[in-house]
Amino acid sequence: MKIRSIIIALVIVLIPFIIGIFLFMGKSGKAIDEKVHFITDTRKNNKGVTYKGIKTDWTFCPDWEYKPLLFKAEEYLVFVFHYTNNTDYDVQLMPSYTFVSPGNRRYSANEEIAMYIEDKVENELKINDETPITYKIPPNTIKHYIVAFEKPHSLNDFYVDVDVFRDVTLRLHYKKENGNWSNYSNELVKKYKGRG
Amino acid sequence: MFKKIVKNFGPEWGAAVMGTAALCITMQLSSEVARPFSFLLYVGVGFYLLTTIMLLTFLIPWTLRFFMYPEEVKKDLKHPVRGNFFPTMPICFILAGTGTNKLGPMLFGPWFAYHLSIVFFFLGVVGIFIFGFLLVRTQFLNKEVHLEHANFSWFIPPVSHLIIPVLGVCSMDVYWAETSLAPVLFMISMIALGVGLLNFLFVGAAIWHRYIYHTIPQGRLAPTVMVGIAPTAIIVIFLIKFIQAIEASHGNLFGISFMSVFSPIKIVASALWGFSFWWLILSAILLFTHYVKVKDHPLEFGWWAYTFPLEAFVVATGLLAACVASHFLYGMLIVLNILVVIVWLAVVFGTIKWLERGAFFKPQH
Repeated sequence: MKIRSIIIALVIVLIPFIIGIFLFMGKSGKAIDEKVHFITDTRKNNKGVTYKGIKTDWTFCPDWEYKPLLFKAEEYLVFVFHYTNNTDYDVQLMPSYTFVSPGNRRYSANEEIAMYIEDKVENELKINDETPITYKIPPNTIKHYIVAFEKPHSLNDFYVDVDVFRDVTLRLHYKKENGNWSNYSNELVKKYKGRG
Repeated sequence: MFKKIVKNFGPEWGAAVMGTAALCITMQLSSEVARPFSFLLYVGVGFYLLTTIMLLTFLIPWTLRFFMYPEEVKKDLKHPVRGNFFPTMPICFILAGTGTNKLGPMLFGPWFAYHLSIVFFFLGVVGIFIFGFLLVRTQFLNKEVHLEHANFSWFIPPVSHLIIPVLGVCSMDVYWAETSLAPVLFMISMIALGVGLLNFLFVGAAIWHRYIYHTIPQGRLAPTVMVGIAPTAIIVIFLIKFIQAIEASHGNLFGISFMSVFSPIKIVASALWGFSFWWLILSAILLFTHYVKVKDHPLEFGWWAYTFPLEAFVVATGLLAACVASHFLYGMLIVLNILVVIVWLAVVFGTIKWLERGAFFKPQH
């Protein structure tokens, strides 16, 4: 191969790796500023919910600011769920999460944003996020799962459904009081099991 | 010079974009395996940007050729090998849309990325269906197609239809799940799945017939054997993305419940993944025990056929790992991801060498 051809080929193959290294250094360093602060951690005041031997705790950040590289930053609601298996046997979990704003508007979790912020959340809370759709929790073990929701504008109250049990849904209620988010109640809602 | 490039810019160039585009997804999936691989997410963005540059650059001469040299286009459409490569460009739209869906939010934020990926989806769908009908019509009416023309590049049109539901269900995953667009995406995806799946079986039987009752293709078509990995690997990708879309729709999408389909999907996806893996080994056996042994494996543009099918298999491995045998499949994902990068590097250098010897202006028919 001629030198000119080798240079062209090298430029093509190096483009993605050079872009990747620059972006990685920029994102993992402080070059791109993202504001983060968690306001709720049910593990600290033992406010988690236990059902059938599985304790569900959560950490909540109401205004995680994620800045896309080319557009302006937007705020996300970030939850980190901590599942503790207090039974004597392995438990297989397949949780799913729904955010509901006033007017019964339902939103799915944004997997992409959760993936981008994963490292930062893990560093902040000293945890390891689970990647699979379904995962096994051995007895007396904790597993963690990061969930990010896009935040609707002018939001004052909402609830999040944590669909982790076969017969009930864990519902977490939040509302804004004096400018601060408050987790004013949690409930286990029975699931409908009819044909209609 | 530009006119000469346009005249010779064959339909196969989309394969180079495909072979680069899928790497952004293999990188993204590999980045999720463990903390030391996190940087691969950003390398994936790099591949996404390179794909965008390639797509825009190749799209210009590819489109102009239809208007400036329609006779050349007609000649290619009738060609039993080259004709099948026309859908590669619309496939690139679907792949660019998938890349935009997964990595676009990092560049543009979710709103813009999800809308852009929908534009790519519809562009891809229109192109794939048009070329699908054109190619089948041409094959049915062409009296010059014989048994010895059958080869695995014939899988490209079925693959092009199979790839539509991948972006269709990716789009239903988050943003479009609760909108009126969701049923449209679902129906287009299911129609394309049906067309792709059945055409894959019919065409597969025709090619199999040739491989058994006739000689196998000459060395310059050797890479097309790899295309056989793609259909089942893409169905695996679709199935796992479909289950994620159901999960995102609060466990129930158009009455299909997550709990009722998750177990069968795990079984079917694992079996189909197994077929792709078997085909990968078969391709390696054919390549090394026949083509390399008889020294009939010339450097051709067709080497790009080694990239995308293997990358589709890597993506299938990464997604399946989220459902079954996670530790084993995640380990395999990392090894395969290194392999696809090596293959891609070799093919890029090979293509530059191929261009250097002036083969671009002397297309072989």
